[in-house]
Amino acid sequence: MDQYKKNKQKSIICWVFAFALAIFYLIVSFMPFIFMVLNSFKEKFEMLTKGVFNLPDSLNFANYTEVLTGGFSKYFMNSVIVLTISLLLLLFIAACASYPLARFKFKLANPIYAGIVACMSIPVHITLIPVFKMSRATGLYDSIWALIGPYIAFAVPISVFILTSFMKEIPREIEESAEIDGCGKIQMFFSVILPLAKPGLATLAIYNGVNMWNEFSFAYTLTQSSENRTLPLAIWEFQGQYSMNTPMIMAVLTLTLLPMIVMFIIFQDKLVKGMTAGAVKG
Amino acid sequence: MGGKEISLEKLRQRDTRRVAALFLAPVAILMAIYVIYPIIDTFITSTYQWNGISAGKKFIGIGNWKTLLADSSFWIAFRNNLVIMVLSICIQIPIGLALATFLDFGGKKLTVFKVIWFIPLLMSSVAIGFLFTYALATNGGLVSTISGWFGGGNVDLLGNPKTALLTVIMVICWQFTPFYMVYFMAAFTNIPYDVFEAARIDGATRGQYFWKIAFPLLVPSMKSAAILSMVGSLKYFDLIYVMTGGGPGTSTELMATYMYKQSFSTFNMGYGSAVAGGMFILISMVSLITMKLLNGKEEA
Amino acid sequence: MKKRVAKLMALSMAAAMTASLAACGGGDSGSGDGGSSSGGDSGSASGGDKEIVYWNIGTESPDKDVITKAVEKFNSETESGYTVTSVPTQNDTYKEKLVVAMSSGECPDMYSCWSGGPMYEYIDSGFGQPIDDLFNASEIKDKLMESAVSQATYNDHVYAVPYQNISMSGIFYNKEMFDKYKLKEPETLADLENICDTLKKNDITPFALANSSKWTGSMYYMNLAARYGGLEPFQKAVAGEGKFTDDCFIKAGEKVQEWVEAGYFPDGVNSLSEDDGQAKQLMYQETAGMLLCGSWYTGTFATDSAEFYEKIGWFPFPAIEESDADPSIMIGTVGDQFIVFNCEGEKLEAAFECAEKHLDEEVIDFEVENGKIPPVQGIESKLTDSITKEVVEAANNASEIQLWYDQYLPPAVATAHLDGLQEVFGLTKTPQEAQEAMQKAMDDYLANKAE
Repeated sequence: MDQYKKNKQKSIICWVFAFALAIFYLIVSFMPFIFMVLNSFKEKFEMLTKGVFNLPDSLNFANYTEVLTGGFSKYFMNSVIVLTISLLLLLFIAACASYPLARFKFKLANPIYAGIVACMSIPVHITLIPVFKMSRATGLYDSIWALIGPYIAFAVPISVFILTSFMKEIPREIEESAEIDGCGKIQMFFSVILPLAKPGLATLAIYNGVNMWNEFSFAYTLTQSSENRTLPLAIWEFQGQYSMNTPMIMAVLTLTLLPMIVMFIIFQDKLVKGMTAGAVKG
Repeated sequence: MGGKEISLEKLRQRDTRRVAALFLAPVAILMAIYVIYPIIDTFITSTYQWNGISAGKKFIGIGNWKTLLADSSFWIAFRNNLVIMVLSICIQIPIGLALATFLDFGGKKLTVFKVIWFIPLLMSSVAIGFLFTYALATNGGLVSTISGWFGGGNVDLLGNPKTALLTVIMVICWQFTPFYMVYFMAAFTNIPYDVFEAARIDGATRGQYFWKIAFPLLVPSMKSAAILSMVGSLKYFDLIYVMTGGGPGTSTELMATYMYKQSFSTFNMGYGSAVAGGMFILISMVSLITMKLLNGKEEA
Repeated sequence: MKKRVAKLMALSMAAAMTASLAACGGGDSGSGDGGSSSGGDSGSASGGDKEIVYWNIGTESPDKDVITKAVEKFNSETESGYTVTSVPTQNDTYKEKLVVAMSSGECPDMYSCWSGGPMYEYIDSGFGQPIDDLFNASEIKDKLMESAVSQATYNDHVYAVPYQNISMSGIFYNKEMFDKYKLKEPETLADLENICDTLKKNDITPFALANSSKWTGSMYYMNLAARYGGLEPFQKAVAGEGKFTDDCFIKAGEKVQEWVEAGYFPDGVNSLSEDDGQAKQLMYQETAGMLLCGSWYTGTFATDSAEFYEKIGWFPFPAIEESDADPSIMIGTVGDQFIVFNCEGEKLEAAFECAEKHLDEEVIDFEVENGKIPPVQGIESKLTDSITKEVVEAANNASEIQLWYDQYLPPAVATAHLDGLQEVFGLTKTPQEAQEAMQKAMDDYLANKAE
């Protein structure tokens, strides 16, 4: 009984301590976001004279109205289209590639895996010129379709790397029992491995989704007309040669970020829960 | 009977290879077009003296590579990358793991924490750069203000070559820790629920469960995370470019920013390509050797 | 069996490789028809038949409006049958976008850029056409300031049409503050230092400088060097006849460090960011009294707050008593954008016509209204703003105008200059060390060029 009490006490102390740290980290994570939002309500001169870390004089939505009445909705749609297509294709392709690398025994598996890790090391900027040439040659230049190829390709190595390590953790027994039921390799992928890899896929969706959503270099090298731009370029209208309108940019960035938070909430919650249920069954 | 078995085994192997080839083909094609071709192109360009835009270029063989080997700026940049690498691994992964563990123990009621902790990864580098530049300002910045409370003077973090790199690394860690949090959260879900149940029935405390059961099961994920962090740090570009531009002087120059400047700002594309090629070789080597070392231990 | 997999892999890779390589060699297939206002297929030298693609950095108003006005004027008035499509790209990424396009041989038909090192590089690489004939026949020849034309001239040919903005470096100051402490615009460097000391005594930072951007600190340095030794040492060093370790450069560096140590610049000067507005913030909060920068700052101040702009005065960099250098020399640029052409024949004529529209009276009036100073003769009569008038006067009286080092020098030398100087500001390098590094970059450049 004493031991139990002691443990209980210890556990409470631990939780209190953990909560204190957690809340501290919560503040650290949240502050910059708060200030981004706060500054988006200010006027340019107000922000500079009163300081970035002061509360705005009033909740002034003028910046938001200006942003939203500009090209924002077009950029937004472009970003959504690029993101959806790229992400779906990426997840499928990466899952396909990870499956044999994680679950099959064949001699080339290790060299291929190593090759993919090597592909992770490519500095993205050096690919701008070749990719630009390709998009010119294929006639995709200056359309959002030009972005999909590179977005997928440069997310593939890291995705395969992550997913392979996830799939390796799936217990052999599950596969073996399905094999006894006469399940072929391809069927195995779709009906056993893919569902079990959901947490890994969710991680990838979140991570790559964020990257694609904020991607900048390819977006401006491969497009030029304003109707083909994606969201990260929306800040241009407020960035001049000599100065920029920071509160306006903060408004754009806040609006850019909100959909990602929503996406995170949906993905994170659904997929982690689904997975736990599946594991219990297994 | 025996002969048949062998052929069955063979058949199965053939089947394995076929399926493997089929599943790997899309990735192979993508990599060939978008990664392998640019890499080859980079290595070819690195043998020229070329400003990057003129039609004519001059073949100089390994001239750029010789320069690269002797170029102290490049090696300083590489060293800076190594500093980022070591600190990123030591900071991001433990914090990420701690956050994930907390969330795993706490369950659904902690969703608010999860979402807010994740926000740094979502923020654009433009916003992060701006806000942290002001927060770290020597006069009136956050750090200086706090130092003032304790009677200290103004602190110049970004303008001092000794502290600039470390300061930016802290911001980088702030931004990327949530990724490892999500990564480990997913890894936690890979631990079957009955393992946890069994441990509870045996009377294990949460602490015991974590250290004795969960932690060993998470080791492979941690290894992968370390590799990811390693590669990411060695080719890092974003916030350094936004916040310091490599300065003061060249104290925060990284391989990627150095390559970028050579290729796109100073019209030295040939040399920039050699830098990129060097980067590629160094990063692949470091990550593959580490992978070998980590996995070698695992098998032993 | 193993072979077969390997073969399959190799085959698919090879197929992809050839596909991509072939695609790259294939040249234009041309996508969009470019019918819309911001056309589809562009960026290539051969472009659409009757479409001229024009890259520029007008993403934000008023620059955007200036260019739009000129382009629309051309499109509606021209009889050439060509249409110009403007493609604005934000300044920070613009140079990179140009390099990417040019390296693929797909330079736009006309593009706007700064003059100096990069522009010469574009021209040397075949992406600029001399426009002497068109220029001599055009009315803009007499309209433009001579110094602007000379900045557009390279190897004795006119290559570009300057437009938009005269930017001279000078010192902006807070008039109220000067009144309060009974200060006058300085005639000499000693006067300026006295002003600084007075401000300092009253807990005001003399100079608002944000030097994380590096070129901002160069403004102070260039002016000091010019006042110590005139422009000859610089011109000689660039030509390879002199050295960047000349006395005037070292003295300028030493003066910078003296000022840093005296606290004339804000704390942590190398960490403050010009782009994020940390220099002007000090002016707005009235914790700093002066700011040395390009005269485009008139527009910056005026758009941020017209009220605050009332408080601002301006004077050119003062003379140094013990030096015999001509104190009328100005550091700056006569026109901060130049249109370069990459097309020939009829198309070039049409493109040139569009460039002329940038100097149309209507457009010039619009620029003046927005605080810009187009580089045309007699512009002072149009100006109403007292500071811009002073700036133009100083430019007109200048015996010589030196373009910013970082624009004028070959880019690699410019980088060495900026990096070194930033460390001089940070007191982590001596002026001698910084200048030696700069000289080394110059030597390397000249050696490469000679090969």
